[in-house]
Amino acid sequence: MTSFLQNLVNAFQWGSFYALIALGYSMVYGVLMLFNFAHGDIFMVGAYIGFFVSSAMLAAAAMFSIALPGWLVLTLTIILAMFLTSFVGMLVERIGYRPLRGAPRASAAITGLMIGIILETGNLAIFGAQRVSFPALIESATYNLGGVYITNKKILIVFCSLLLMFLLHQFVQRTKWGMAMRAMAYDYVVVPLMGVPINTIAALTFGLGSALAAAAGILFGLAYPVLDPYMGILFGWKAFVAAILGGRGSILGAALAGFLLGFIEIFVAAIFPSTLRDLIAYSIILLILTFRPHGFFGEAYSARLRL
Amino acid sequence: MAESNPTPSKTKSPFKLRWQKFWGVFSEVPLIGWLIGILAAVVLEQLVGALFARLVGLSKIPVLFGFVIVLGRPRLIPGTLIYLLTIYALPIGIITLVGKSLTNKLAGMLAKIPVWVSALIHLALLYLILHYWADISDYRDLVLRLTLIAIMLTLSLNIVNGYLGEFSCSHPGFMALGAYAASVLSVVFFVQDKVFGPPILPPAAGPFIFPIILILAGLVAAVGALLVAIPSFRTRGDYLAIISLAFMFIIKSLIENLEIFGGPRGFMDQPNWASLPIVFIWAMLCIWTINNFVTSTMGKALNAVRDEETAANAMSVNTRRTKMIGFMFAAFWAGIAGGLFAHVMRYVNPGTFGIQKLAEVLAMVYFGGLNSVVGSIVGAVGFNLMSEALRPLELYKWIIIPLLLILVMLYRPSGLIAFKEFNIAKILRPKNTKDDEVEDGTTAD
Amino acid sequence: MALLQIEKMTHFFGGLRAVHDYNLEIVPGQIRGLIGPNGAGKTTIFNLITGIYTPTEGRIEFEGTNLIGKQPYEVASLGLGRTFQNLRLWRHMTVLEHVIQARYSKLTYGLAGALLDTPKRREQEEESRKIAYELLDLVGAKKFADQVVINLPYGAQRRVELARALAINPKLLFLDEPTAGMNPEELAQIMGTIRQIHKELDLTIFLIEHRMKFVMELCDIIQTLVFGEVIAEGTPEEIQNNPEVVEAYLGKEIET
Repeated sequence: MTSFLQNLVNAFQWGSFYALIALGYSMVYGVLMLFNFAHGDIFMVGAYIGFFVSSAMLAAAAMFSIALPGWLVLTLTIILAMFLTSFVGMLVERIGYRPLRGAPRASAAITGLMIGIILETGNLAIFGAQRVSFPALIESATYNLGGVYITNKKILIVFCSLLLMFLLHQFVQRTKWGMAMRAMAYDYVVVPLMGVPINTIAALTFGLGSALAAAAGILFGLAYPVLDPYMGILFGWKAFVAAILGGRGSILGAALAGFLLGFIEIFVAAIFPSTLRDLIAYSIILLILTFRPHGFFGEAYSARLRL
Repeated sequence: MAESNPTPSKTKSPFKLRWQKFWGVFSEVPLIGWLIGILAAVVLEQLVGALFARLVGLSKIPVLFGFVIVLGRPRLIPGTLIYLLTIYALPIGIITLVGKSLTNKLAGMLAKIPVWVSALIHLALLYLILHYWADISDYRDLVLRLTLIAIMLTLSLNIVNGYLGEFSCSHPGFMALGAYAASVLSVVFFVQDKVFGPPILPPAAGPFIFPIILILAGLVAAVGALLVAIPSFRTRGDYLAIISLAFMFIIKSLIENLEIFGGPRGFMDQPNWASLPIVFIWAMLCIWTINNFVTSTMGKALNAVRDEETAANAMSVNTRRTKMIGFMFAAFWAGIAGGLFAHVMRYVNPGTFGIQKLAEVLAMVYFGGLNSVVGSIVGAVGFNLMSEALRPLELYKWIIIPLLLILVMLYRPSGLIAFKEFNIAKILRPKNTKDDEVEDGTTAD
Repeated sequence: MALLQIEKMTHFFGGLRAVHDYNLEIVPGQIRGLIGPNGAGKTTIFNLITGIYTPTEGRIEFEGTNLIGKQPYEVASLGLGRTFQNLRLWRHMTVLEHVIQARYSKLTYGLAGALLDTPKRREQEEESRKIAYELLDLVGAKKFADQVVINLPYGAQRRVELARALAINPKLLFLDEPTAGMNPEELAQIMGTIRQIHKELDLTIFLIEHRMKFVMELCDIIQTLVFGEVIAEGTPEEIQNNPEVVEAYLGKEIET
């Protein structure tokens, strides 16, 4: 039982990353009807920006002999990195996707793939082959709750993810721009005709999604400090699967599916030899898709890729 | 798929006119003229290439038309240019331009014999060119073989992503199935191996059974494709995309867990049967069968299902069968390409068949052009050439190539040569006739 | 024997009853009409018969063969053709290719022929071309044969769609609003074409229409459908004089 709970805790943490990244995919997919395959790499960029920002802050603090508490640095890092990475996302949209707005969606998908490769290569060019290590901002503290070991980091990660998801939900449900995004998810063609500036919505959607991915990146760096340029690939594609599993345009679905994927991976790895993890996890997903081909909350709407 | 008869544009800049006139001369050279010219060039390279290279200051014959040299060691650029001009441009230029009327006459004579005989003659010439060109170095031989395999892969992916209009991510999986199936069959039956023991059949018979092994490998991949084809009956587009993605992960993970096939460390000892002539023949078979398929009504049904499935159904097109054939046929050739790949590299490991390979094949298909046999050939060759030529740039290769692809996507979203049909008779005929509207049964570009 | 026989067909979309107790008997050679206000369920009936939906209740028999549960392409192969209200053409194909494509079920050269370009395939493809040209000639669209279909004017596209449906060699042809979007001149032309194919190809026709003049002049028997139920069935004179029909439908329509 304790091992089950232990795994549950780990699954929550692991699933948080998938959920946050999947949200970005799902928003772009829901509002703009396209997939941004560079999204996983934006997660990576966010982590690196976080590394850069926090290292700079710590260095500056050391230079001026100010003692900055770790949690303050972390909070500032997250906020700043989210802000900066959102610009990266908006730039990607501006360069890669806006010119292709009328084009077949598959072409935009390929463009996204290519942008992702450029981001990875750019990273390699800047940092070289050596991996960077995210600075340790929080002292690890482990709590023992009846045999289940929970670290403060895990709590922080899950808490932050849920908080961000809540904030996103509030934004989408209660603000004018959020309403515009929801409207576009319903009817992509008509809403711009009603005076809603599609360029702004697109930039906003990408910006929000990228900010969430950046947060995921920093939280990831907190738990697994060693970063590498290709860290976004696998996460990206798996989060993509989660976004679709959650159903077209459903933010709640994406979050749930992200957590579900996390659960599946952790529990499968706990029960079976770890090499079988992907095999079983994806077989389960295939099974889910066979019985619910439109995901959890997707309408029965076959999105066709028009050539 | 013809467009309404193109009328020449009435307003053109003088520069464009001069440019067109210059190349216009070349447009009157028949294919056989080009082939003879290029053959002369590679034979010349065989005979005097090494000597001439040293004469112009190069230590050896430039392996890839000098791209590698130009980017790595700029001081050798003048020498390389002279080499290229003399060994390549000169013979080709002379034979195509000076021999224009002769080659056109030859093409005219060939047009009178059955198309398939003429096509075989052209293919033989093409093979000779590749043979002599590759003979210069092992590197060339390898690049050529891998490029031919890339053509097969790209063509097969185009069937699903282009003609059938799905976004399928399962191709690395099909390739993996074929690669491993072929490897296991070869090794079990014909090779002395640590895991599988002595060969069951005499190794000398191997090369003759190799085609059967490849076909079996293709069939294994085709059966695997059912896992993606059957869901495609109920769902399309994005959901099918992740089903195919899940399929790819599953296959990769499956292989990684099969210790008997080497697991993540890979599988080796494949015999050296995938020589250039073998790969060439399979590639030509691939092009031929796929082109036959997509020009038939049965093949065009893929387009009908893609563009308006409901109407296709109402017009008696068996949409389920069409989708199944599309996926399985594509997987079949991907499997054969995988089998050939395994025997060229003489080593496979599951890591080869993951996201990276997926990005590669997708790039080749979309770069070259969707729904087009010519497009896939161009895409595969172009991508591979670029990939090899830009090697000296190391890391920056992977900034330039993606940028190039993005540019192509921006200006030609369906690829460089999309939706164009391949008419063999039209390609082979003499080019000095004014009549450009010769049709030959099937509608053509 | 009735060509098409439908008994007590009812269909629900979730909780919404779209068609209720629909009966139909079409005799070979007839031209039948189905009229009714928008949303009455006319196209749904077409979709139910041709196999796009499976009716919740009822019996459908075509030449004695049960249609329920069959895939649309099986229904089409049996000889039931249709056109669509919104055309549904194949964007990248030429006119000729459209008509040839509908010959799919008549081709027997199989995968071998498709992959290996056998003489049998060449023969059958050539025959398809010939038949396609003939059909295009019949509907008056032959001159567009090599053009990509989306480049054509709307009237020509409608003709192509008609030729395409004819290529499956149907015994019964469903026409879903064949005159939608046409001007009076095109209307007269299409009426003539329909009469011509009816005679020359020995067709039985069942059409959905809104234009009263068109329906009254062409059809032998007309059904009026309102909210999924047939409220009247009879000859054009009977329908025109039926007070229920007049009230539910005709009275509010602006005559063309």
